[in-house]
Amino acid sequence: MNVIEASGLGRRYGSTWALRDCTVAIPAGHVAALVGPNGAGKTTLLNLAAGLAAPSAGNVTVLGGRPAGSPIALDGIAFVAQDTPMYKNLSARDMLHLTRNLNRRFDQQYAESRLGELGIPLKRKAGKLSGGQQAQLALTLALARRPRLLVLDEPMAMLDPVARHDFMASVMTAMAADGVSVVLSSHVLAELERVADYLILMSRGRVQLTGEVDDLLASHRLLTGPAAEADRYAERLSVVHARRGEAQAHLLVRATADEPVPPGWEAHPVGLEELALAYLREPAATALPGPARHRALRSETGRQTEVTK
Amino acid sequence: MTALSVPARQEEDASLRPVPWQRMGWVTWRQHRATLAWVIVFLGVLAVLVYLAGRQVYSAHAAAIAACQSASSLTCPGSIIAFNGTNAFLSNGFLLQAIPPLLGAFVGAPVLARELETGTFRYAWTQGFGRWRWTLAKLVPLAVVLAAAAGVFSLLLNWYYQPYFAAANQNLTLTEYTPFFPGIFDLRGIGFAAWTLAAFAIGALAGTLIRRVVPAIVATLVAYAALAFAAGGFLRQHYRAPLVTSNLNLPGSAWIISQWWTKGGKFAFSGWPPDRLLEQFCPNGPSGPVGPFGKPKSVAIAQCLTPHGYTQWTSYQPASRFWAFQWIEGGWLLVLSALLIAVTVWLVRRRAT
Amino acid sequence: MDIDKGISDEPRRAAGVSPIDFRLDPASGVPTYLQLVHQVEHALRLGYLKPGDQLPKVRDVVAALAINPNTVLKAYKDLETKGLAAGRPGQGTFIEATLSQVALPELSGLRRSLFGWLADADTAGLDEDGVVALFTSVLRDFYKRRDGQADRGAASGETEGVA
Repeated sequence: MNVIEASGLGRRYGSTWALRDCTVAIPAGHVAALVGPNGAGKTTLLNLAAGLAAPSAGNVTVLGGRPAGSPIALDGIAFVAQDTPMYKNLSARDMLHLTRNLNRRFDQQYAESRLGELGIPLKRKAGKLSGGQQAQLALTLALARRPRLLVLDEPMAMLDPVARHDFMASVMTAMAADGVSVVLSSHVLAELERVADYLILMSRGRVQLTGEVDDLLASHRLLTGPAAEADRYAERLSVVHARRGEAQAHLLVRATADEPVPPGWEAHPVGLEELALAYLREPAATALPGPARHRALRSETGRQTEVTK
Repeated sequence: MTALSVPARQEEDASLRPVPWQRMGWVTWRQHRATLAWVIVFLGVLAVLVYLAGRQVYSAHAAAIAACQSASSLTCPGSIIAFNGTNAFLSNGFLLQAIPPLLGAFVGAPVLARELETGTFRYAWTQGFGRWRWTLAKLVPLAVVLAAAAGVFSLLLNWYYQPYFAAANQNLTLTEYTPFFPGIFDLRGIGFAAWTLAAFAIGALAGTLIRRVVPAIVATLVAYAALAFAAGGFLRQHYRAPLVTSNLNLPGSAWIISQWWTKGGKFAFSGWPPDRLLEQFCPNGPSGPVGPFGKPKSVAIAQCLTPHGYTQWTSYQPASRFWAFQWIEGGWLLVLSALLIAVTVWLVRRRAT
Repeated sequence: MDIDKGISDEPRRAAGVSPIDFRLDPASGVPTYLQLVHQVEHALRLGYLKPGDQLPKVRDVVAALAINPNTVLKAYKDLETKGLAAGRPGQGTFIEATLSQVALPELSGLRRSLFGWLADADTAGLDEDGVVALFTSVLRDFYKRRDGQADRGAASGETEGVA
């Protein structure tokens, strides 16, 4: 089952397309990380999946083909928006009561014990809690609904490192215990490397890269070799991003481990952050499943080729 | 790579009933109880003030009636002045006309505008209840409660204005109003509650469209004012076709819409006679009873002009139609309110962020 | 890795408690699941884990380290493939076998010869990083050659020989 499936999805505000030609299929049982710089369209995509916005183009379905925003979708998806919106005047206990009344499923006991473990007093008004506590409260409310999909929009932006660790630990525990799928967005990739096993890389409203992290890492390599030869091989190899010094050049290529390495060159595996940065630096580079498109010619400088599949 | 299997929840999907409506009762109450408390306090304080003021008006009225029993009473003029001056700022009702729009704007506009402004709609509209049902379940109870509170308050206003309509005022120069007087008509009967409801509905729609609390409140007040002026100034007189008569002795409680004079079957002039005619036929000035603002009543003019062949025609609404007009006005306000709330819910359902 | 004191002296803990706890080195560059696998193998070698011991529950690992549960599952599956562990439905993952242990006298002999080699390398002018680089490269070549020989041997039906 795909927890989020989008086909040609687009969303326009006025004359600006915040999201365009988005085609993804996020499988269940994963932690999918939506990564990209500010303005890449991450929040737009999540809003569309949560049913808060309607598409301007294409369509999006959730939880195995249900329309986004439909009652079943609302029932099965718990969405925590950026800045964890909360009614500031209501106490934590009131927020629990509120969420319980607005949903079909709510595990009051779990919510109360979790807040107790976290040291969040039930009587205190939500506006008086610290940023980390508000985020944990929002997460508690979301998890207590026993959703099938948890959608988090930049959930850790306001959190200090300890709070971030606790937050992630809670999410991962819920996943282990309940089988919740998770889709979360962030513009800080480093903290996602430990948890993400599905990646969607976005830039300027378009999806650049999507797939299981293991597959993506297995299908890319970093080749290091003489700078002088870099041009010669750049045309033969699918180069995503090239960096060159005086004598040495690094080419991040799309190739698997069993493909032959040019003589005199070394091949290294690529880490997730390195991979993401390379793609983000090359906005024209995409590696998306889809109909085969033409291979663009080398640019004038000869530094990189556009890679399409 | 292995992935965690998702536990089957098939049985829940099969019987997916919507979350029951009554759950929103607590939600609406908890989120708006402070606002409702303010409304009760506001109306309560006003009620006390209106009651105290009304006591003064009633006692002044009684004193004037008593003092003017005999035609040549010495205390009569003084008591008349005393009555006319008692709480004169309230007598024409315009001040109290501000209550329905204030209630409607301050209660209705923030319901949606605050959610949209603070971003809490991202929480509220992703819960299982669903956004349009949430909106409806908030707006309808609030509308009903607000209209009911306004209705109860207007009973007091009904009581307050009685002395200004009393028939006993006919022969005295006490300030008099017809039941249709624009400042007072919709403070009484069901008008007060109906206008409060309409203001609330305008507020709710404004909040949805404008998405910011303060601008939405301002917009509500402006829209309400426009509607109230249109209703009072143009619409109301046409609810039923006015009666036309040449009878000069209309009761003071009748709402005179227009007057014109004919001579010999042809139209002569409307409204006040031109000066040359007055000079010609009423050289000594019209005598007789004086109405509000000191203007001689048209009865006096007629006495001068009628002997010379002029006939005065009056189109008017009789006071007996007061309640009929209340129901008509209340009726279209109710329909309008329902329509505005329906549009609000439709916008919430359809509109994206 | 936390060391449980007196692990071989005290009686076995209550069921459901694992003798070891995992830790994570995020900067090491080694994939997370491999770190977990290595820690289990390391614990086996040093005797902290014995056949029959339970590996930490996925949920506990995830709560402590804030990592993806699929990563833990992957590590446990890896150990299963290697024959070191096996999952029991409803109970958890348990150690099934142990790594082949080298006998103590052999171990000290190996230590001595390695010491000698390091002394030679030092005399030749190789510094610590050079030693590690050389060793890593030869190690890789060795296993490549050995596994290649094993494949050829298995294909021709001969018994595996240790190079």
